[in-house]
Amino acid sequence: MEWIKVASAQELSNDEAKTVNVAGQGVALFRIDGEFFATDSMCTHATALLSEGYVEDGCVECPLHQGRFDIRTGKAMCTPVTVDLRTHPVKREGDDIYVLSPEAK
Amino acid sequence: MTSPGVLIIGAGQAGAVAARALRELGFRGGITMVGRERHKPYERPPLSKAVLVAAQEPCLDVLAQEVWALGDIDLLRGSDVVGLDVSKRQVRLAAGQMLAYDTCLLATGGEANTLISAPAGHPHVHYVRTLDDARRLRAALHGKPRVAILGGGFLGLEIAHAAMSIGAAVTVLERATSLLDRFLPPEASTWLESGLREAGARLLLGTFLGGIHSMPGGRMRLVTDAGDLEVDEVVVAIGLSPNDSLARDAGLAIAAGGGVLVDAQCRTSDERVFACGDCTSQQRPGQTAPARLESWQNANDQARTAAAAMLGVPVPARAVPWFWTDQGKHNIQMLGLPAPGLDYLRRGDPASGKALWIGHRGGVPLHGVALNAGADLRAIRPLFEKGLPVPLDDFPLNATNLRAWARQMQAGAAATV
Repeated sequence: MEWIKVASAQELSNDEAKTVNVAGQGVALFRIDGEFFATDSMCTHATALLSEGYVEDGCVECPLHQGRFDIRTGKAMCTPVTVDLRTHPVKREGDDIYVLSPEAK
Repeated sequence: MTSPGVLIIGAGQAGAVAARALRELGFRGGITMVGRERHKPYERPPLSKAVLVAAQEPCLDVLAQEVWALGDIDLLRGSDVVGLDVSKRQVRLAAGQMLAYDTCLLATGGEANTLISAPAGHPHVHYVRTLDDARRLRAALHGKPRVAILGGGFLGLEIAHAAMSIGAAVTVLERATSLLDRFLPPEASTWLESGLREAGARLLLGTFLGGIHSMPGGRMRLVTDAGDLEVDEVVVAIGLSPNDSLARDAGLAIAAGGGVLVDAQCRTSDERVFACGDCTSQQRPGQTAPARLESWQNANDQARTAAAAMLGVPVPARAVPWFWTDQGKHNIQMLGLPAPGLDYLRRGDPASGKALWIGHRGGVPLHGVALNAGADLRAIRPLFEKGLPVPLDDFPLNATNLRAWARQMQAGAAATV
């Protein structure tokens, strides 16, 4: 496991997200209240990129079926999602955002 | 003597969600759920998509294993309720057993409409309503057959895309001259049509079926007013009829267009009997008559409403109707309900693969349609919830930040009230 630089801070405004590549795996990077968080990029329910979802109140809603996850904890909050999302550690050094490369699934 | 508790007739999405909601709301009495199928409650949306094509069948459980592990929901599988006696508060099972209830919930769903010329038992005829139906179609599709899909509705078109994705040759027959024209603005309908043709489908629109003839070797010949067509498999997707006969026979009120008539609390005409999901018909704000709403969201929402009403606790706020369909690689979502004479404004371009429409009457957003733009539709949902007129001039402009715009409109609408 290692820290991978994935973005610079100004690439995302609050309540925005993007998919970044972390050692070959897609990770969704979110910005909430100025802080950055990372989760698996794919919804645990269907084939959907959560970075294209709707972010509000610290949760992301899947763009396909409105399943909702807590971005900080990955917890599945409402149907149809039942399986929690993996989260990944994030650190910020100056304007650079790093994500700890996830274990292969 | 223990009281008999809640009896849920039907073990689909609506029944299962109601059972879980009762427990979440603190109900401690008995819950018995009776289901006709041999499966535990399962999600139906994947039946016309992933179940047909995915290498591995996805998990379809409506309720997590942990919920069943608690052991406080009794599920009678493979059992059919054949009689409901609201005066004695009991039901009769096909096997003869009687079950009593304090409160009954009808979550009986619906049945696929059938064509006489395409009987359900035919080895090459498919109706897709149950998991067993979908598994059977999956097996047939993997031989890359020539398939005729009768009915160009959401279900038929999802199946068309799925079948083509695994190499089947697909022809869709639809009586209307354009696809889903009751639900989509013409531009979206046209886009959907060209997408299907590009994926390789043959679309016979405005086409009527005369008959279906079985041929030697299992082939089928379809006689239509656009000529004859020979295929290996026939899929019939021409809509759903509510399973309301149990309620009808019990003397409960049935809506004019079919469906168990329920009030805003999902109560039927008998105070001890509730109903939810595809089997119901309900009056909604802004609608002139009670209507059925066959959607995953409605099954879930009515289930939660019925559970709360049964327990006498406040029911959840009514959600704006929301529906999705996955058409091949594309996701289409709708918010609100279509109505005749709406004016549609578009943002984005279907040719680019992403677009959003607002159908409005006098500036009141009533029907939203998103093409690969679910998050954008979600961002403007508050405008549909408010139901107030808003100036829509900036909506179509690319320069408009939709989320900020929706917030501004929301605040503006609130200020004028």
